[in-house]
Amino acid sequence: MPESISFIEHFQIWLRAFLILSLFSFLYKDNVFYKFSEHIFAGLSAGYYVGLIWQTVIIQQLVNPMFDEGHYELIIPGMLGVLMFARLVPKWSWVSRVSLAFVIGNTAGIYLISSIHGFVFPQIWSTMVSLGSPDGFHMSLISLILVVGVISTLIYFYFSKEHKGALGLTARLGVWFIMIAFGAHFGYTVMGRISLLIGRVEFLFYQWGGSLKQIF
Amino acid sequence: MNFWQRISFIDRRWIYLLVALSVLFPMIVPMQCPVGISPEARQLFEAIDSLPDGSKVMLTFDYYPSTIAETEPMSIVALRHMFSKDMKVVTLSNIPLGGPSIAERVTRDIATEFGKTYGIDYVNLGYKAGYVAVMHGLASSIERIFPSDYTGTPLRELPLMQHVENYRDLEFILAVADNATVDYWISIVNAQYDIPVGAGVTAVVAPKMYSFLEAGQLTGLLGGMKGAAEYEKLFKREADATRGMGSQSIVHLLIIFFVVLGNLGFFIHKEKQNK
Repeated sequence: MPESISFIEHFQIWLRAFLILSLFSFLYKDNVFYKFSEHIFAGLSAGYYVGLIWQTVIIQQLVNPMFDEGHYELIIPGMLGVLMFARLVPKWSWVSRVSLAFVIGNTAGIYLISSIHGFVFPQIWSTMVSLGSPDGFHMSLISLILVVGVISTLIYFYFSKEHKGALGLTARLGVWFIMIAFGAHFGYTVMGRISLLIGRVEFLFYQWGGSLKQIF
Repeated sequence: MNFWQRISFIDRRWIYLLVALSVLFPMIVPMQCPVGISPEARQLFEAIDSLPDGSKVMLTFDYYPSTIAETEPMSIVALRHMFSKDMKVVTLSNIPLGGPSIAERVTRDIATEFGKTYGIDYVNLGYKAGYVAVMHGLASSIERIFPSDYTGTPLRELPLMQHVENYRDLEFILAVADNATVDYWISIVNAQYDIPVGAGVTAVVAPKMYSFLEAGQLTGLLGGMKGAAEYEKLFKREADATRGMGSQSIVHLLIIFFVVLGNLGFFIHKEKQNK
């Protein structure tokens, strides 16, 4: 933190510290400071979002290209957007389905391609590994674990036959792989949440503490 | 009530207090925690380091202010690395709340540190709604999707953007994200437009990224604060993430202690009930 900061910067730091401590106070019990901060967050977010979309989408992508550059074809997506508001009038709400149909069709097409091309094929290819790796025994072992893990997990999600005998054993092995994956996710999640806490405590300790030191 | 029963009913606020004290302790008594370098962090560092000086790259700020403890140190150290190699950096955000202003603040601060000029060495495109459409649109024309930058300056007036028309003009994309946008940088931009993509993600998102890394769809990965600390160490400039690793290690030890204690209590209590 700099040696000397302005009054405005002090005010910003104190406001942030107040909101952080108000939100943390919920850990003790629900209270009016927590509710106050929560409502400020919800209200500010909504207002900021509306302003941002208005400027970056409505003005930049619709109004300016239409009236400054003569792209009058943009009236079509503009109208489709306006039709969405028909949902607010029960009698005319069916009109919004035209826009929804466009959005659903478009989204399905885009996501289908990106899912198959970007997720399904590359992930399948990457599980087609050689078990006799030229990089040594440990790589062969990793490849074997990968193949067994993929097959046993897929079998766990095969529900057309009762999980008995060899199928049941493989499915149970699949459960072990899933549990290990959950464990890894949980470990990372703990690390992530603690990191967020560290970030806020660091702010309180270094910046708010620094501001306190400068004032008093 | 014996010890094991008593800890089963302990008020959770005592645990919160212990966690808070554990986070605070390394700030009062500074301690150095060794940071090991993972192969995926090294891969990302080397991918950026091996780019020719002056390369044009994209850095995304796809994260909310709530996760800046993990993601901002990644953006800062990556930006320092890029500017130290005189790279031209185009930044954008697919996150409406906070993303564009974080990008503006971080790029301005680091650019000042390295004496870089806005419009020539770096440009902040800002935010545009609908990230899937944005990612597809940038492949044909960045200017069509972002007619102006974050401050409202038309892109055609910025010297850097006269040399960056679309993805083909970029050598590398580093997506720093705390959400699903990184999936689409991989599945759309890398898979369909063949641009190398590296990722810096929050710890919550990181496990999912390993399958992309193994498949070669990602060129390097930073996972959470630890990933950021690794990059800082590789760049030989330890900062916020490295400083946070002391607290991280102590809290992890505390949590492991609680997990062991809780399980011990559970099994001892269960055995007593069986008897």
